[in-house]
Amino acid sequence: MALGKKKSPSSGGEKIIRTNADKPLGVRLYKYRWLYLMYLPVFLVLLVFDYIPMVGIIIGFCDFTPFSRKLKWVGLENFRTLFKSSIFWRAVKNTLIISSVNIILSLTTCVALALLIDEIRVKWFRKTVQSVIYIPHFISWVVVASIFTMLLSPQNGLVNAILGMFGVEPIYFLANSKWWRIMLWIIDRWKGIGWGTIVYMAALTNVDQGMLEAATIDGASRFQRVLHVTIPCISPTILVVFIMDLAKILNIFDPVWVLQNSAVLETSDVIATYVYRFGITNAQYGISTAAGLFKSVISVVLVVIANKMSKKIRGEGILA
Amino acid sequence: MRERFSFKKGYRGRTIFLICDVLFLVLLMVVMLIPFLKVLVDSLDPHTYGLRLFPKEVDLTAYKYILSKKSIYQPLWVSVYTTIIATVMGLLLTSLAGYVVLQKEMPGHKLIVSSIMLTMMFSGGMIPTYLTIKNLGLMDHIMTCILPVCLSAYNIILMKSFFEGIPSTLYEAAELDGATPMGIFWRIVLPLSKPALASVGLFIAVSMWNNYMNFILYITDTSKKNFQVKVRELILSDGLSGTNIGISEDMLKNAMVVLVVLPFLVIYPFLQKYFVKGVTIGAVKG
Repeated sequence: MALGKKKSPSSGGEKIIRTNADKPLGVRLYKYRWLYLMYLPVFLVLLVFDYIPMVGIIIGFCDFTPFSRKLKWVGLENFRTLFKSSIFWRAVKNTLIISSVNIILSLTTCVALALLIDEIRVKWFRKTVQSVIYIPHFISWVVVASIFTMLLSPQNGLVNAILGMFGVEPIYFLANSKWWRIMLWIIDRWKGIGWGTIVYMAALTNVDQGMLEAATIDGASRFQRVLHVTIPCISPTILVVFIMDLAKILNIFDPVWVLQNSAVLETSDVIATYVYRFGITNAQYGISTAAGLFKSVISVVLVVIANKMSKKIRGEGILA
Repeated sequence: MRERFSFKKGYRGRTIFLICDVLFLVLLMVVMLIPFLKVLVDSLDPHTYGLRLFPKEVDLTAYKYILSKKSIYQPLWVSVYTTIIATVMGLLLTSLAGYVVLQKEMPGHKLIVSSIMLTMMFSGGMIPTYLTIKNLGLMDHIMTCILPVCLSAYNIILMKSFFEGIPSTLYEAAELDGATPMGIFWRIVLPLSKPALASVGLFIAVSMWNNYMNFILYITDTSKKNFQVKVRELILSDGLSGTNIGISEDMLKNAMVVLVVLPFLVIYPFLQKYFVKGVTIGAVKG
């Protein structure tokens, strides 16, 4: 830490401006003593739930079970076992497929929907649409899974009843490896499409009206204006949302966990559910921590790359 | 821009587009609401078939049965009090963190900011967190479920961006009057931040009410499980205890879902604007 020795630039040596940074460290620490005290509870919570577990990733390099007395260092052995396991790679593959389709669908549908809502000028209608489509966001995944398990049920389920009218045999959507991911994507859209539009709606209010008018005078059609003026104007927001999503791409857990069943593990097992099964259910702490660490490291790398790309494209990153 | 509802030449394309747009949005609202409607109908009508969207008769036995069972009140109570505690503590911790992060001249400011950002980028993962809690003897402690929900880097950033909007002359004046940072925080910052507090408080309340995983991971004592866990248990169990009273299992499950969603749907219309505000305050400047 700089000890505040740096003199502030004095003009012509007449007057020395004393800023806070000039005072000795002790004085500054004393001045902010209350603030450190105020930060203490926050720090303690972060310490227990974030920082100590971060140190705990050394378990990934150890042989550790509930019965072992102390940690036995095994180096990269856990990772070697992991990378040889076909179940782990299946989980990696499923995570990537499920999450990347999720991200692409969420970006496209939310931007499109925001544009469609933005065309509506009747205020009450616009408000009603927005209020209604936000609702599913607040329903927990546990309840969402319950609702859709019943809707998609092969007996008495609404979806199968509609299909039945067309003479289609009942399909057990959530216990069928072919259908499971598609159902997850659809349910995720039902839950997230409305809430996802908020940021874009806010960005749309900032679109430069002058530019839109200029485009109109130049003879651009409405569609061309949206394509060449509106979308470029909100693209920074799209980029930010994309990078935020990218950070979470490998973390997908809740929706998969509540909709999953043993019949569809082949296409539904993701890294996080793999970690849960091996770590919590089977108590293989070493291997599951290693899998979790693999996931976290790849996430950080992805975000850093995306941030670099954002810097290149528009001159600034979104992370400090 | 031309905006007239007419089929005359020059307006026709726009009008057709608007009609399709409105129809699409209405359809979307229907799709959003049908799952709720279906659950409600199936919980009321004992003779439902797949396609029925309006109840032919209303029968409240499923609700009566559920509400008569004592085993649902304890989880419900756990959900209620954890949500209250989480909201109060979460607001306090989040605004404290946001206020400290605001002090740019405080020694160690950068360290504090980056240590908070770090939690957003990287985490120890499920197993190390679980083992930490276990080794610290915090298993089965209700605060273990509450505290992680209280603090999130995202909410801290949101709070901080709101605090930045408060004119700094107010702080300086108070400082000259000899107010301590704690005093400034209580008497100036918090009273001026009611909109942000409302938004963050609601986010915390909803995520606590909806929390499921913490109770699965850290709680083994059934008397401390929350309502979400109970709902999940009931939905998964194929033989609901005591279904031999002539109510179909599906009816009970549907009634349970209605009961857990209802409190939110009732307060939602009044609080919606705070939720939306929260997102737009926190929206990273693009």
